[in-house]
Amino acid sequence: MNKAPLGADLVIPGLALAFAAYFFFSIADLAWEAKANGVLIGTVLVILIAIQVVRTAAQVAKGKADLSLAALLHPRDALPRRIGLVLLTVVFIGAIQWLGLTLTLFLGLAAGLVLMGVRKRSQLFWVPFAVAASAYVLFIAVLNSDFPHGPVENAIAAVAALFQAGGP
Amino acid sequence: MTWSFLLDQFATQFGLWWVILPAILLGIVVGILPGFSPQNTLIMLLPLTLAVKVEVALAFMIALYCANHLAGGIPAILVKIPGSGGAAATTLDGYPMTQKGQAQQALVLCFTASVFGGLITTLATLALLPWLSQIGLVLRSVEMVVVMLFGLTLIAVIAAKDFLKGLIAGFFGLLIGVIGTDHIYNTPRATFGFLELYDGVPLVPALIGLFAISEALVMLEDKMIVGKEGRAKAVSAQWAGIIDGLRLSVKYWWQIVWTGFVGLFIGIVPGAGASIAAFVAYQQSRLWSKHPGLYGTGIPEGVIAPESANNGVTSGTLVPTLALGVPGGSTAAVMMIVLQYHGMVMGPRLFASNPEIAYGVFVSMAVAYIFMIFTILPLARYVSRIVLIETTYLAPIIILVTVVAAFGERQYLFDMALALVFGVIGYIAHKTNYHVTAILIGVILGPLFEQYLVRSLRISQGDVMILFSSALGNALWALLALSLVLPFWRTWRRKKALAAEQFGEER
Repeated sequence: MNKAPLGADLVIPGLALAFAAYFFFSIADLAWEAKANGVLIGTVLVILIAIQVVRTAAQVAKGKADLSLAALLHPRDALPRRIGLVLLTVVFIGAIQWLGLTLTLFLGLAAGLVLMGVRKRSQLFWVPFAVAASAYVLFIAVLNSDFPHGPVENAIAAVAALFQAGGP
Repeated sequence: MTWSFLLDQFATQFGLWWVILPAILLGIVVGILPGFSPQNTLIMLLPLTLAVKVEVALAFMIALYCANHLAGGIPAILVKIPGSGGAAATTLDGYPMTQKGQAQQALVLCFTASVFGGLITTLATLALLPWLSQIGLVLRSVEMVVVMLFGLTLIAVIAAKDFLKGLIAGFFGLLIGVIGTDHIYNTPRATFGFLELYDGVPLVPALIGLFAISEALVMLEDKMIVGKEGRAKAVSAQWAGIIDGLRLSVKYWWQIVWTGFVGLFIGIVPGAGASIAAFVAYQQSRLWSKHPGLYGTGIPEGVIAPESANNGVTSGTLVPTLALGVPGGSTAAVMMIVLQYHGMVMGPRLFASNPEIAYGVFVSMAVAYIFMIFTILPLARYVSRIVLIETTYLAPIIILVTVVAAFGERQYLFDMALALVFGVIGYIAHKTNYHVTAILIGVILGPLFEQYLVRSLRISQGDVMILFSSALGNALWALLALSLVLPFWRTWRRKKALAAEQFGEER
């Protein structure tokens, strides 16, 4: 008989329980107004998690389920791409303050597409170019928002300043 | 206010088409992206709105605001990524409609519900402005506790398939919502030492992570986001899909009207907003429906209710701004700044000193909605084809662009990382059937619920009976109790009828 893989079902309760414990620790010395709501919600959450753990344990004890994490990792062939995208996003967030919005988005998307298995050079250039250019036009040129500037933004600003000053 | 005055106002606003149309376009583009709220966009465009005439600035701001509210539903329907908190409830039935190959119909329902919900409530506001402005004064923190509970009961509705998992997700979200400084002493709670969390968990990174990033990580499992049949329908998308969507809009016209008013009333209360209005409208729509079990499977009512309420809020938030000088929301606050810069004094006197502005705001809104229906409706046919893009391209674009958008609200790199953290939590929740919407409802409503509850208890010096101290509050409690009991009563009646039917057959 195939056992239901219920280990993954305990990941969210595990995270929630760890957070609730940290929450209770962080509010231990506060006035009642600051902790009343959190204590109420946290207590109910802990009770609900306890019920979920008991429910899972009962299934495992009956031999109907095991604590495998298969539900979380399935399908296996998508896992490397999934982890790759998460890691790429971490690098993207780290690099954006040095390289600026436009260049990071262009390079990040190109790397993301390679990771997804795209190999056509034209697509690897034009798709990231279109997205990065649109982001530049909307966020920096039109809305003038405070996104990090890098070589591309600085170069365009320098060229624009040159034209405003009366040409090269 | 006379008819000739109103007609004159409408004529003036129609004459400003050259500013309304670009504002609608910009509002739609910005509204599709989670993270770029109308108030942020208006703040960035302040130099423009301060430089032009007050009526032009007003028309621009109003059109952008309304279009922004409407556009949030587009990605919610097509790729399950709400453009704003107000569109989060739209994903519940909008995305399943897309998966069934009904993206065009869902988009048309979203557009018509938004436009007509917004238009009807705007016209109602024009007619009932003096009375509506009193609602914000009548609804105090005691009553707002019950209004928040109306939204929170949706967690239980969402949890229907696996009650325990749904409740764990909802309470996890509520506890995340408590992160930040408390409302009385400003002492930090569970901030992990990050100053960026002192104001609480920002909604946009949570929204982006729980919906966009987690969905992108899940969609990698398939080549396309819709099945073969859905693809075939998207490829051959004709005007018939739009006409069918219009037919459904006419069929559910009453749904558009009453859920729009839910949005209007909630919008009037300062501090409440589109997210709450949309969730409450969805919950109420499901409650009074003849087939509540079908909600969440992709039905028109599930798209209409949150979208109509989401846009009913637009006129609601401006009522206290104009009538009392108290901004009903952050966008209304930005508009107030612009109007004050132009010399307008908000409050009751505005209606006597500058009626063309006081009433003009709502006329401008009505005109913007009329323009919107003609500009956006034809788009449904083409926009629905986004489902034909392979996930190979869609997933990295969604993840990186929405991470960029997470920066937009507060301009912190921290928010990008926070979005990724929520993305991973959302992915785990997706894969293990802990509903991400339940987590999000907790994150949105948790801080507001706490704010109103603690304020009430503070007034009563800790006596919980204050929650039952007003006639209106008690009426709302009774309605809430009815909302909770009614589904069980209906299920019991259905079972009883079924049993009686079976007994009759056996005899």
